[in-house]
Amino acid sequence: MSVKKQPKVKIWDKTIGSDYIEEIDLPQMHSWFFDGTHSVPPLTPLYAWHWVKYCSHGFKVACTELSIPTCKGWELRTLNGSIYCAFHIVRDPKEIAEREVKFRQALRPWLEDFDGLWAAHKEELLGMYRKLKGLDVDHATNLQLCHHSRDLRRTYMRMWEIHFQGMYTSNNAWLLLETMTKERFGIRDQDPEFQDMMRGFDNKLYQMDKKLWEFGRLAIKKGLEDVFKENEPQAILAKLQQSAKGKEWFKKFMDYMKTDDIGGWRMRRFNDFTEPYWLEDPATPLGLVKDSIMKGSGYNLEATRAEIARKREVAIAAFLKRVPTGEKDLFEKMIRLAGKASSYSEEHNLYCELFVQALMRRGYLAMGRRLAQKGTIDAPEDIFMMKPDEIDRVLMVPEAYDMRWLTRMRRAAWEESQNTPMPPFFTDRASKEEAVEKDLLPSGDVVAIKLVVGEVPQPKPELKADLWGICGCAGEAEGTARVVMVYEDLKKVQPGDILVCPGINPTWTPVFGLVRGVITDTGGTLCHAAIIGREYGVPTIVNTQEGTSRIKSGQKLKIDATNGAIYILK
Amino acid sequence: MGSAKPIFRFEELGQEHNNLVGKKCANLGEMIRMGLPVPPGFAISIDTYRKFAEESGAAEEISRYVSRLGELKGQNIALFDKVSQEIRGMIEGKEIPESIRKMVGSYYKELGKKVKVSNVAVSVRSAGTESRPGMFETYLNVIGIEDVLDKVKRVWASAYTARAIAFRVNKDIPITGDELGIAVTKMVNARSAGIAFTVEPVTGDTSKIVIDANWGLGEGVVSGAENVDRFVVDKKSFAILDTHIGKKAKQVINKKRGVGWEEVPLKKQSAPCLSNDEVVAVAKLAMSLEKHLGKPQDMEWVIDPDFPPPNNIFLLQTRPAEVAAKKVETVTDRMIDLIAKRFYRPDSNRSTQPKNR
Repeated sequence: MSVKKQPKVKIWDKTIGSDYIEEIDLPQMHSWFFDGTHSVPPLTPLYAWHWVKYCSHGFKVACTELSIPTCKGWELRTLNGSIYCAFHIVRDPKEIAEREVKFRQALRPWLEDFDGLWAAHKEELLGMYRKLKGLDVDHATNLQLCHHSRDLRRTYMRMWEIHFQGMYTSNNAWLLLETMTKERFGIRDQDPEFQDMMRGFDNKLYQMDKKLWEFGRLAIKKGLEDVFKENEPQAILAKLQQSAKGKEWFKKFMDYMKTDDIGGWRMRRFNDFTEPYWLEDPATPLGLVKDSIMKGSGYNLEATRAEIARKREVAIAAFLKRVPTGEKDLFEKMIRLAGKASSYSEEHNLYCELFVQALMRRGYLAMGRRLAQKGTIDAPEDIFMMKPDEIDRVLMVPEAYDMRWLTRMRRAAWEESQNTPMPPFFTDRASKEEAVEKDLLPSGDVVAIKLVVGEVPQPKPELKADLWGICGCAGEAEGTARVVMVYEDLKKVQPGDILVCPGINPTWTPVFGLVRGVITDTGGTLCHAAIIGREYGVPTIVNTQEGTSRIKSGQKLKIDATNGAIYILK
Repeated sequence: MGSAKPIFRFEELGQEHNNLVGKKCANLGEMIRMGLPVPPGFAISIDTYRKFAEESGAAEEISRYVSRLGELKGQNIALFDKVSQEIRGMIEGKEIPESIRKMVGSYYKELGKKVKVSNVAVSVRSAGTESRPGMFETYLNVIGIEDVLDKVKRVWASAYTARAIAFRVNKDIPITGDELGIAVTKMVNARSAGIAFTVEPVTGDTSKIVIDANWGLGEGVVSGAENVDRFVVDKKSFAILDTHIGKKAKQVINKKRGVGWEEVPLKKQSAPCLSNDEVVAVAKLAMSLEKHLGKPQDMEWVIDPDFPPPNNIFLLQTRPAEVAAKKVETVTDRMIDLIAKRFYRPDSNRSTQPKNR
């Protein structure tokens, strides 16, 4: 007997331990903090499901492997496509002391050979990705896709385990240097003196930027300059196919995208499946080649970077002169390791999230196409409205299922969440101060403090600014505000603009070559915006909390990043 | 082993005799085998002590006394002092059996003949099977057979210094676990003396040799009381990398009997107590020891003004350089410690706390 679907039936579409359910989660953890770095814009259900499950797993593994004395990991929940986090704080002093013994042992190899351990992890990740890439998803059977879905998740899980070990160790080194320079020399990590020592590292992110810049040079040499200058990124590919030289250039370009160990396996959007990866839509990297060509022949990426690296060594030498002889070795090692925090922060996304998520988008979209063909869902992209157990359930016999009621309902909720502001925290404590005091700070969690929750700006009344943030990269700039909420809108950014956005990720890197300044709502001194700002020498202010809501595109802005001050001129 | 030979000339010994005569004696023998300049002398075997302790009744007395002691771990130092005094008294109060007296006497006489000095001045040093720097006693400038026998007994008794007992208790070694052999060596007339480490004792750097030196006898360096000269020599090139000339106000010299501290004449105080050639010669001797013995060495040397260079350098003893005894703190250690203490102690104040006001 078939049960007729009745709108009156209440559908409970929440999963305990994944969705934020106040009556369960609040008494257990007491305080939940909004993760603005990874929640804007709101996440699709499929992505949020993965994030909550495996990112928090990664935190727990890293805190266990490293035996972080005061924290056993993060707990994550999703609500309206946003992410909230809470911390498993170790409160018993005896247990903390016991964990510290192992922590000291576990930290040592990372401090002694960070690059070696990270290199081994990169190899492991690339090895897993090679296997996943091996499956021809368009010709695979549904059974093979079902197994692929399992393999993707296993890989994604391992990725997070690796991700946070490097992050905890490198960020601790940064934090230690910051603490010591502040105490001993009054230098904060927001100060140019500090930041100049942390720039210009050679890493994969920079190497890829350089490669694209070189392809730009090659295009000019081949007489293809106008193809790039006169066309929008989406049209460039077709235009290139119209000439032999264009075809030849594009073949070389795609060879790089396919054969480099990262190449085109790079998501355009950092934290969701909704936007194409480079190999899927070469318009994205072609647009970056266009940007480099638009900068003109006077722009030399390599020379610019070399200059930043040279200044870094000068800054380090100048700083070390102030350090007493007996401590030079200590400070020098701390500076080198903190530099790795900067470098790791830039580079790891390429090997971790951006690569595996490109594979996941490819795999899940292939599954989505199978489901859409059989009418299980409306369109392949609706797979992002499902959760893996639902996909597993229907994938082998898609014709037997109609999941459209579910994907439509979730899509409507997801679209609505785009316009729903989310509270910065939930707590059953008396105030936010108490919540932070009791449920965040005792975790001692460097990732929470430096990256996700961030430090709160401290206004300097005498400067009479309109808005305050934390200095990500020192300097001053004046320009037109360009508020960008999603990657799609990045193309509206004009040279000389000041970019105002919720937060950025490495995919947005190239736009730093275009703008005069950057303002973000979220993040700390180790967030992507701050690090990339420093790499490109663009004045950057992070963690304004309300930049995108207070500033309108087209307004004239003046920013004094050194002081975290933003002036809206008109 | 009761019938085994009780006393050996150094040249009869080698590393394999560690358990027979103690490490210091075995090493002196080994150094002679290597052709290194070691002052002549003889070794009294550990079994000789055992024979003395058995025949004199000291062994039984000590064993009875020790069995009545309770748990010593964690006890007050005053108790260790008391135990030390009592056991040492049990040893020093006994007569050395005639057979041993005769045997020591004949080797002492032979040594005198060899160096053509009757009643030759000697050092009487402890030699345990394990290297325990600074635990046991050493007597310098001992003259005449009666004095030698007295000092032999005192060295035996020094197996029970309070610090040695405390060390054994803490390491769960039986209280009677150290029995000593003895090295009796002709005293060298010391112009300058000191130690050479074939590893930087603080940083653990194995590419350099560090030499500490003072005027007079090596005790003027070992005691650590004086501001001494320090030379750092590259192991490969034997280039002198660093020279620090200390202001050496005092030195240890031979008195009529025994040794004592004395003022260094003013003009010598700030003068290097080794020439560059001597520094290199000492470094080369130290290296040949390290090479032969297979690990970094901590050796004691002396310059005897009675001999012309390059034959004026003598080696008095060597042992493995215990860098671990002073735990080396690397930069990584300091970082780990700072991170653990600053960020992950419940009472630590993060300087970077977000302020939510």
